[in-house]
Order: sequence, then C-alpha cells, then structure tokens
Amino acid sequence: MADQNKKDTPEKFCCEMLSPSELFAARARSHKIPVKGQKDFFPNDSDEQRERLEQSLNEHWSLISEERVERLGSIVKASWIPSEQIVELQSPAGKFWQTMGFSDNGKQCLLPEEALYLMECGNLQVFYQDLPLSIQDGYERFLSSNTVSLQQYQVFGHLKRLGYVVHRFDPSSEPASYARQLNLPQSHDRAGRQVKRKRSTSPTPAPTSSQTDTQDASERMEEDQCSHDGEEAKKLPELHPTTSPGAAEAQTDATSSPDQSGVRNWWMTDVGRNSGNQADHHAASGSTRWDFSSILFPDLGSSERLSSRLASPDSSLLPGTLAVGDCNISPWRRRVNQREVKMSLKEREEDKHRRQWDVNRDREVRQCRNWAEYRDLLARREGKRKGQPAHLWNREVTPLHDPTQPISTGELLEKISVIKSTHLLDGASRLKGSDEWRICFNVYQPDMVADFKKSNPGKPYSRMCVCSFDGPVPDLHAIKLLAFQSGDVPVVFAVVDYGDISFYTFKDFQLPTDVFP
Amino acid sequence: MATEVAEKPSEDAPVPGKVSNRFDLEKETELRFEVESGEAAEQLELELLSGMAEVFGSELNRNKKYTFGPGSKIAVFTWQGCSVNLYGKPEVSYVSKDTPMLLYLNTHAALEQMRKQAERDNERGPRVMVVGPTDVGKSTVCRLLLSYAVRVGRRPTLVELDVGQSGVSVPGTVSALCIERPADVEEGFSVQAPLVYHFGSTTPGTNIKLYNKLTSCLAEVFSQRCEVNRKASVGGCIINTCGWVKGSGYQALVHCASAFEVDVVLVLDHERLYNELKRDLPHFVRVVLLPKSGGVVERSKECRRDTRDEKIREYFYGFRGLSFYPFSYEVRFSDVRIYKIGAPSIPDSCLPLGMSQDDTQLKLVPVTPGRDLTYHVLSVSSAEDGEEGARKGIVESPVCGFIVVTNVDTQTQVMKVLSPAPRPLPRHTLLIMDIRFMDMK
Repeated sequence: MADQNKKDTPEKFCCEMLSPSELFAARARSHKIPVKGQKDFFPNDSDEQRERLEQSLNEHWSLISEERVERLGSIVKASWIPSEQIVELQSPAGKFWQTMGFSDNGKQCLLPEEALYLMECGNLQVFYQDLPLSIQDGYERFLSSNTVSLQQYQVFGHLKRLGYVVHRFDPSSEPASYARQLNLPQSHDRAGRQVKRKRSTSPTPAPTSSQTDTQDASERMEEDQCSHDGEEAKKLPELHPTTSPGAAEAQTDATSSPDQSGVRNWWMTDVGRNSGNQADHHAASGSTRWDFSSILFPDLGSSERLSSRLASPDSSLLPGTLAVGDCNISPWRRRVNQREVKMSLKEREEDKHRRQWDVNRDREVRQCRNWAEYRDLLARREGKRKGQPAHLWNREVTPLHDPTQPISTGELLEKISVIKSTHLLDGASRLKGSDEWRICFNVYQPDMVADFKKSNPGKPYSRMCVCSFDGPVPDLHAIKLLAFQSGDVPVVFAVVDYGDISFYTFKDFQLPTDVFP
Repeated sequence: MATEVAEKPSEDAPVPGKVSNRFDLEKETELRFEVESGEAAEQLELELLSGMAEVFGSELNRNKKYTFGPGSKIAVFTWQGCSVNLYGKPEVSYVSKDTPMLLYLNTHAALEQMRKQAERDNERGPRVMVVGPTDVGKSTVCRLLLSYAVRVGRRPTLVELDVGQSGVSVPGTVSALCIERPADVEEGFSVQAPLVYHFGSTTPGTNIKLYNKLTSCLAEVFSQRCEVNRKASVGGCIINTCGWVKGSGYQALVHCASAFEVDVVLVLDHERLYNELKRDLPHFVRVVLLPKSGGVVERSKECRRDTRDEKIREYFYGFRGLSFYPFSYEVRFSDVRIYKIGAPSIPDSCLPLGMSQDDTQLKLVPVTPGRDLTYHVLSVSSAEDGEEGARKGIVESPVCGFIVVTNVDTQTQVMKVLSPAPRPLPRHTLLIMDIRFMDMK
C-alpha cells in the first residue's frame, strides 16, 4: 500500500536507489509502533475522544504510508503460482527457511500466508507475471477461501510476530485414535511426508475441494468403526455425554462393541425369546382367571354347601398310579378349629369393626381381575389418601424425586442433576465431524526455534482454531470434536475482533461437591 | 391291627437286641410313631415289607431300612394298604384311620389342574401360601404338596418364610429352594443352591419391616426366575409361613400374598384366620380352609430350640453330623465388617427432619467385635466387598454362607470361627444373628 504509487514499472522499482542522506534518514527514523491504549467501546461524542481517535488514526496512516527501506541483497525473490496457490522461491531462501516453507520436486516453495508475512516483514519480494506485487496485492491474491482467510492470516501473523513457529494443521498427520490408544510411535514415513507438505490442507473450511479429500484417516477409521452404531449416532446428533472417563475408553467401547454386539445378539436371541414369552406371559396373566368352579378345592370353610362328598380326583393328576375314592368332608367340617379366640374388650371391639369391613364389597376391587390391577388400585388410593399432589405425578413431566422416599444427600444430588457433567473427551470418538469448526494451525514455542526441524517438528505447544468475534461460540459438540482430534495437545480458540485477537481455551475441571455420603 | 412279634430272633429281625413290631395297615390309614428325644434315646428303623406306603409324600422302598433319630415324629401313610416293620422301641406308635390325607390329595389335584391349565395357556402356575397357627403341620403340608408335584413331573419352588423353623437353611433366614426330586424320607428335601436371605432372628416380630422387605426380595427373584424358566413358572411355588397370625404377623401374611401374587391360600385349622383372609384378600385369591392332621403334636419351646440347634449343626456337620467336616480358623477383626440390621429406635425428636422411625429398621449398624460376639451365628453376605457404595445393597443381598464365632480374643483382635469352607472368607461383610450356637456335641 505504501509503495502503491511507485509501482509504475519494475525497472523503476528495481533501480530505485537512495542517496546516502536519504538512506541515513530512513535508517534513523523511529520504528516505534504507536501505543494503542485503552479501547473505547462507545462513542461519547466528546471532542477529547474524537481527537484521540484522529491522532491514533493519523499515526497509523503515517506508519503505513512510510516507505520501507530494505537492502536489496537481503530480499528474496519469488514468484506467485496462482494455479497451485503457492509461492516459488527464485533466489536462495533466507534464515526464515528454518521454520517456514517446503520443498517440492527440488523447488523451494512458500505457502501464501508465509509469503505474505515475509512480504510484510520486508524479507520477500513476490513477482507475478514478472511484476512485483505490493503488500496490498498480496493480501488480495494470497488470501482466499482456498488458502487462508484474512482472520486466519491475522492470527498467523500475530503469532509469528510474537516469535512462535506456526504451521498449518494437517489432520492426516494426527495419529488415528487407535494408534494413539496403543501409544504407537509416529512412523517416520508419515513425518517425512508431512514436511513435504505437497498440498497441505487449507485451514479454511473450504466447502469443496481440498478439505474433503484430506478428510483425516483417523476420522475415516472412526467412521468405519462407528458405522455399526451410525444410527445411534444419527439419533444423537447432539452431545451424548457418557460417564466413561476418557476417549481411550470410549474408543475401546467403539472398537469392541461389534463383537460385543455379536455376543449380545447371541444372548439376545435367547433373551428375546424369553422376553417374548414374558410378554405373552404378562398378557396372559392379565387375563389370568382361574375358574375355581371347575378347580375344586376341598374347602371346609366355604359357605355354599356343595356336596358333602368330594368326587374322586382325576387319576392323571395324582402321583404314581393312584386311584382314590370320593371323600366325605362333612366330618372334617365339624372338627376344624372354630374355638373362640380369647380377646380383651378392646380387641373384641376392633374385631367387630373389622368384620364389617371386606375388601371385596368394594365394586372397584371386584372389578380387578388380578394382583397387578388390584395393586394399581391400592396405589391410586394410597396416593389420594396421602394427599400427594397426584396432578404432579400423572403428567408427562414428573418431579425428579418423591420426597417420601428417603435417600442420601449424595444420591439426591445425583438424581436432580439434570445436566450431567462431562469431560471433554467423553464420547468424542463417536461424534460425527463437522465442517464448521476446524483446527487451523500447529503452534510451536519460540524457545525451540533454534533446534526446530521442519522434518520432525515434534509435539506442538498448542493448536489454533480461528473464529470471529461476530460468529457463534463453539458448542460442546465442536469443543469435544476438536479436543478429540487434537489428542493431548490443547486447543486454543483465537477469536478475532477486527484487529484484536484474544485467545481462549477450554479445560476440564471437577465441580466440587460438598457432600459426605 | 398291630401284631406284635416281639423278641423273636429270626431273619426278620436282623438287628439283634431291638424290638421288632410289625404293623399291617389297611388302605388310607397311617401309622404314626414318635422316637424318644434326648441324648440317650435310640434310633428307630422302619422297613416296608409289602404293599406301598409313603412318608409325607415320599414313597418308601420295599425292604430298605429307614432310620429315624431321636425326636422324630413320623407318619407312614398308605393308599393301598401295606405292612411295615418297626425296629426299636418308639415312644408312641399307633395306627390311625382318621387322616386328612384325602383332602390334601384333592388339594394337590386342584393345584395340578391349575398347572395343567397354566402349561396349556402359557401362563404362570399356581402360587400357594400355606398359613395357620403354630403346630398344625404347615411344613408337612408343604412337603406333601411339593413331593406330589415333583412326582407328577413339576418343578415347584419352596419358599420358606418360617424364620423360626426353616426347613431349608439355618434358622433366622428366609429362603427359596427349587424342588427337583421328592424329599428324602430321612433327610427331607435336598438342599442344593438355595436362595437365602439373612433375617437374624427367630421371630418376624423383632423386625417386621425387614421381614416384609425380604419377602418382597424373594418374590421379585422368584418372578424373575419364572420369566426365564418356563418350568419353574408352571410349577409355581408353595410358601411356608410362620405361625404368627395376629397383628403384624397377620399383616405380614397379607403383604406376602400381595408380594407373591398368590392364587391360593391354604389355611390350616383356623377358621377365624380363614374368614379374615377372605375379607382382606381380593376375590380372585382362593382361600381354602383345611383341617390339620390328628397326628400333629404340639412342640414345646425346648423342642423348637433343639430343632433349631440341630438345623445349625446339620449345616456344619451334615445330616446326623456325619457327612461334613467344618473348618476352624482365626479371623482378624480388621479383615471383616460386622453389621446388625435394624438400629434401636430413637425418639422422633432426635430424628433428622422428614425421617420416620421405620427407616431405622433397615439401617445397617456396625458392630464392634467384642467378647459378646461369642457363639453368635454370622451370615456371610454376598454383597461385594467395598466401601460405602456397597453398603446399601447388603440388606437385599443373599447370603453365601454362615459361620459361628467360637472364641473372641480382644487382646490380639482376632476371633475364631467355625466355617464350612477353609479360609479365606469369600466375602468380608458379616451380618450378626440373634441366634447363638454352641458346638457342644
């Protein structure tokens, strides 16, 4: 932008030489970046504020419009290849090559964001169609939906300026979850391939091309694993927090469940049959009514004096080859214990009261055909009598706890905690990937720049996910997904608010419970 | 009827020195005899010479000698007529024509009819509760009905709720036992893998809440079994109850009927109880009044205690103290946790808000081991060892065995126990019973 007006011809640019005095002035100029100061959130229409803003703006403009003076020898030349969306170096790379760029078929290349950053630093001059690109051109051409977005570049540049080593995140470089679980060493081959980031995936959520084919292996693997419970996953697109303590375990579940389900099926057939039986059985018991007029018990107490002789039972019902005659029960009637029970006056009174009461006088009781119905009836009445607010219990939504059931405080807390606590990695392996949230960069700490190897970058310090302040806050689903994808490296959300970048991260913690069971 | 062939040394009496009595029984009569109780009493032997006879539903083999120990009260019944020989001198022996066996047989026939219907309609079989006051022959009727059911090919379940005189396990427990063969004439039902719950006392009155809870537990387990085992479902169950039929005891009976969803209640010799149950149980439950057998004898308190002792001894030493050899070893106090179920009642004002007194009856109270632990029977709960979390399941967990504390050494913090299995204890949660057992014999 600064040299926009001077970019008439490349010759002119290249040949532009500064006189000693001009050079000296350029060197002596202050390179201090103006201090931003406190942020003003609302315009308060005061002159003071307006003046401050104006001054700040002027400072920025003058800073931007300032001509950059660099030594010709230290500027690396490169050319922009739009078809491949990379920048190919034309002259030997500088010191930045230790942490940036990659080799492709013997050519040294830079990714667009790296090239743009180097342009801004004054280390690189990029030509396109033999014309040098201004920084503004760089912004326009390099930042696109196929490479990196402006916000992502802002984060990239911010971190680079702070000294971090920032690489694009390649999901396929992440070990598959099963490999992680087995603690396999990362294969060297994989690491090598990673350096020669031939076509490193763009961190931008590109809707079509690059993103889909680089759908990471682990994810695919996971999908395979999850395919059997795909329906379940579909049914639960929302988070399904389980209580398993870690992704590793969840993964175990996932991997082992095919055989398990096989086994279960094997059992299930049995159980199913039984439960079928049971259903029948219940259905049957619903109508169970022994016909006691045909099933004859020798009941001495029955008031209906049937016959004093009991017909001989069917010999097929009797053990052995028994055949017995009929039975005269009348002598037994007389012999049965009918003696008066000795009772006190009070007991006698109670007894008299009791004698008047008979459950079977009740019409509703007479309508019950079995115990289940009878107990239902009793429970209904019990509820009524207790004055328990039945209207609370007979609707779809019922109270979480019946206060008449005493349980311990711990159990009660457990019972009323509708929102169950979850850990970041709980059940994450079963989640379907989403396009909305992606990890963009691997970030390595500045202090390891000295012995940093692009071929073997090691474990990143953190991983960046770029989002806008205007956009939505990541939901638990996204957080879980990213955490699972990142494994044991923390995921940091870089939230871009125009020029300002804030970093947020989510961590597991345990809610304290002050309960002693 | 009883022709005495006493003191006749012949090959008919192979046991020399024993009196031999021959009885010829007509059809549908029974020989009742009692063996003297006490240490010095001699055993009696019974042999079926001809015809067919049964003891409480189990048929006798011909020419096999059955031995009955001191205190036995036996009735040999014949449907067709038989002759038996009795060796030894019984305390009482007589032949009675007057038996309610025909009524019991008719009861069995009715139950079998229900089982047939259940089998045909894919329903569950009859669940029968036998109730009555003490000493009316409840256990005997249960044994009879179960034996008959097994003999016609059913697999009924015996549910033993008589905590005082358990026929299955040691006293102070409630239990369920799947019956697969008729009772042994001498030993009773073979006790293989019964389901036993700890109650801890010989009368349900000490903790009626726990008693009802355990009844519900048994009912639930039995129902689950019925769901997976068709044969057990058709076979139904026969529930033996205790002789306490008033007040809470009566309420426990009604609760049991409801928990097991009984179809038939057999009331033995108690018309008042019969009438009460008819009023308190819904109409679809058939309540039947049956007479008791004239042969039933009243048992004294001492007699009951002896039977209980005998039952515990049988647990450790086997039938007649011959077949098992228990182990004796020391257990450190620190290795086990001993609990008593049911806290002593406290005034309502001392209770936490909203707690009712009843809740304490199911509470586990830790017992500090001390000298007073000696001779107590302890149940080894099958609840998983573990901390607080496991504690709530202990009351509803079945028992995996029993041990008796024979000696307590408070100095070294160990107790010596009598155990049916060598060390170590399978679980370390112990429940204390009120029942004590002194290993004197």
